[in-house]
Amino acid sequence: MSTASVTTDINIGPFKIPSNGQNMIMNNYAQRNNLIIEFVIPEPMMSNALATVQWLHKENKFNKVILCSIHQLPKEKKRINDLIKTMKNVEFHFALEGISGKGKNFILSAISEAKMFSKSKVLESDKTNWLNLYKMINPKNKL
Amino acid sequence: MKLKDELIKGKGYSIFSIENMKELEILRDSFVKKINITNNGNADIYNVRKKLAKMPKSEINKSMINLLSFNNLSEMIINSCPSLVKSLCGKELFIQRRAHTIINVPGKGQQKQWTHYELMSGISPFTFVIWTPLHDLDDSGGVYYIDQKESLRMMRIEQNEGLVNGPRILNLMQNQKPAKLKFGQGIVFNPFILHGNVNFKSSLARIACNVRFQSIKKPLLQKNTDYLKYYKIP
Repeated sequence: MSTASVTTDINIGPFKIPSNGQNMIMNNYAQRNNLIIEFVIPEPMMSNALATVQWLHKENKFNKVILCSIHQLPKEKKRINDLIKTMKNVEFHFALEGISGKGKNFILSAISEAKMFSKSKVLESDKTNWLNLYKMINPKNKL
Repeated sequence: MKLKDELIKGKGYSIFSIENMKELEILRDSFVKKINITNNGNADIYNVRKKLAKMPKSEINKSMINLLSFNNLSEMIINSCPSLVKSLCGKELFIQRRAHTIINVPGKGQQKQWTHYELMSGISPFTFVIWTPLHDLDDSGGVYYIDQKESLRMMRIEQNEGLVNGPRILNLMQNQKPAKLKFGQGIVFNPFILHGNVNFKSSLARIACNVRFQSIKKPLLQKNTDYLKYYKIP
């Protein structure tokens, strides 16, 4: 029975976090929540299957897994089902969102929330300025 | 003028009365219970304010950790004024994952907050903010708002100067007149309104909470699931 933290691709939904940054975020989360990380698992880049952690879980029986964000959960139905089947008794922690829980409903609800956010348009703050942002809410205002 | 027009085309902020006072009272009492700093016999907002006013800053910060379990504060604020929120953003929202509780204690250098726009944190321009005190505000200090026309004028000057929150904005802290609200009133404002906090004279601490929300149909800016969560008004 142990706790693992998992690093993934640098692109995590809307965030771009290098793996050492991911480790800093998860280590800080663990410290604040009195968790002791025993395994640090690197998933391969360009994959959101979380296959490595599932494979290692079969041998090491993790009881807690820490990830940086709900955006690291799989998106494809088969991969989601595999994750639920293998890890339904594992408590998942998402450091940036500050939420935790376990079981099918919790995992599906986290995936559903990530999907909802990923559908939203994101304004590119490096391609606009303050006045243009204001014009978005009130286009008729002559600034 | 309709509230939405007042917030977007008018002065940018508006004082309103809380629609569901029972929800706000539960919120206030939950705060008193969760911060857990008074003896059980006198656990009410007055005694919490009295106790906080005498505590050193480090002790207040420690007691704020007790509030980490207050993870439904955002929903409680939204549910205390559901019609207002629905009229601005509809029923399906992205709301702040953890609403803020603000504690200001009397004493030199303790209560000032420089003038700023909420947008500076990276929330969407389509966000609105609700701020409400957990008790009557009994003096003429505290939080002030600068109307939209002046806020935008300052923004335009700063943008031309290549600055954000420069000396002009910081100097706006002088001669401001804060709104004197009662428990059961709140202020709703858009993220382009300059606001801040000035000294107050009360011998008790001041406690307020605020929440940011936007429609799920509107675009996000820099804040994502790290700061926001999905919420549907019942």
